[in-house]
Amino acid sequence: MSNSRILKSGAGALAAYGLAIAAALFFAFPIFWMVTSSFKSEVDISAYPPVWSFSPTLANYTQLFTELNAWQALLNSALIVGLATCIAMAAGTMAAYALARFDVKGKEFLAFEILSLRMLPPIVSVIPMFIIARQLGIFDTPWLLIAAYALSGLPFVVWVMRVFIQDIPQSIEEAAMIDGCSRFETFWRVTLPLLLPGLAATMVIVFMFAWNEFLLASMLTSQEAKTLPVIAANAIKPKAIAWGLASAAGVMMSLPVVVLVLLMQRYLVRGLTLGAVKG
Amino acid sequence: MAKSGTINAPALQLGATKAVRAGEKSVPTLLLAPTMIIMTIVGLYPLLHSLYISLTNYNPTFGTSYSFIGFANYARAFGDGQFWYSVGLTLAFTAISVALSLTLAVLLALLFNQYRFGFVVLRTFLLIPMLITPIAVGITWRTMMMPDLGVLNYLLSLIGVSHLSWASSPSSALASVILVDVWQWTPFMFIIIFAGLRSLPKSPFEAAAIDGAGHLATFMNVTLPMLKPVIVIATLLRIVDAFRTYDTVYIITRGGPDFATDLLSVYLQRVNFRIFDLGYGSALSWIALVIVLVVVLVFVNLTGFLKLVADKENR
Repeated sequence: MSNSRILKSGAGALAAYGLAIAAALFFAFPIFWMVTSSFKSEVDISAYPPVWSFSPTLANYTQLFTELNAWQALLNSALIVGLATCIAMAAGTMAAYALARFDVKGKEFLAFEILSLRMLPPIVSVIPMFIIARQLGIFDTPWLLIAAYALSGLPFVVWVMRVFIQDIPQSIEEAAMIDGCSRFETFWRVTLPLLLPGLAATMVIVFMFAWNEFLLASMLTSQEAKTLPVIAANAIKPKAIAWGLASAAGVMMSLPVVVLVLLMQRYLVRGLTLGAVKG
Repeated sequence: MAKSGTINAPALQLGATKAVRAGEKSVPTLLLAPTMIIMTIVGLYPLLHSLYISLTNYNPTFGTSYSFIGFANYARAFGDGQFWYSVGLTLAFTAISVALSLTLAVLLALLFNQYRFGFVVLRTFLLIPMLITPIAVGITWRTMMMPDLGVLNYLLSLIGVSHLSWASSPSSALASVILVDVWQWTPFMFIIIFAGLRSLPKSPFEAAAIDGAGHLATFMNVTLPMLKPVIVIATLLRIVDAFRTYDTVYIITRGGPDFATDLLSVYLQRVNFRIFDLGYGSALSWIALVIVLVVVLVFVNLTGFLKLVADKENR
């Protein structure tokens, strides 16, 4: 390499690192700010110019549990999102299996009908759900949100699991059936173990969207069935905004999703694109 | 994931026909039943109920009785300037936000497609924003964007940029919430496009290099056409979600100041749950639904989305 080539590639590397670090800073800084804010005392959080080194306190987190009733919301979120995810996974995987392995009449139409759920803005279904829930007496109970989140998880499960099932060679199943397994046994003993990574990844995606959901949660609950995003939003009052408290709530509710997704990162792209793009 | 690519699709189709064995006729129906039941009860029924309510003057604050008023709500919607203003604002928000995050995501994907020491770690930072609960994103950005106490104005003052009013002034509020949306969802487009870029075959690039094509020419004539399916899918999903943006805007501005960020979902929330004009609100949501469908259909037709998704071999 001549000297000028070395200089040129050196400059290129420098530019690449400069841009990459700038991008990482842009995307990471607000998260850094949220996490540090959650450990700041009331004095530190309203200081100007902003303080960068401070003595961390857990006051916001304790306040979260004593004043905002975060335990209740955490339990609600876990119950609602957990159950909804299980329902969506069970029903959706069954449907995905049918679409992947059987000749079903109007299969593509059916699949797109399920996909169209992904396009439905929740603001459209929130009014009828509100009215129906009042009539049935299930307003402000977990059941309403469980049903709503199970529904919104379905398109992900059906589309992504269908692709994952199609990725498993049919011949493996056929071999098991020739050996005398029933179709159910074949699914349970042969297909399901091979599907586990895909199932886990899809589950994380469905969990993430339900866990972070706010619009339906805020309008279909009032006291008893409040989820974490709702109580976090409650920390913002028109006059006095408890920033430390709100940040602590933000950290607490984001943490499970960040951990889960980073663990399942390998399959994330496929899940997010409903199976259309390979990660 | 690599092993999955070795299965060829025609064989799968063949197998699918064979798979229907004696006594299995009802199996697919049974398997599809739970999904269909959930879709009908939780999806379709409320939707139809909403259509019915949209033809009435139902408002629970005026008691439980209401009457059928035909298409009066829809007629009223066509004269509702505030509603159409919100529709326009939402379309502008969606177009600008999606265009910006798409551009940024493509540039970042190209940047991070270089194999350099430490890039894997830096890349992880580009993933996290989309995982943060939107409510928490709103809270954090609202603190950072406070004009007098916020850290953004402080940092800008260090490099000599004067006091910005961010979301608290009508002239910059929309730009501010777009910035937040771009921050949160560029990662979504980035990881999809990045994955697409990494899965492209090498030979077209080698051919382009032999032909002496420059960086820009290679990108325009080789990279971009091959990336199209991935870009189309990411963009469509992003359009659908940007159109329904609610959480961050609700936290940061609640539609203000002076309606500068009064997106459709915020406006509808106000009609439905502050004034409780549910009949009218339902009519507006149905119009919103039709608008989404039109946007999606136009996009799908322009890009051949369905073919891309259905085309298993293309993946």
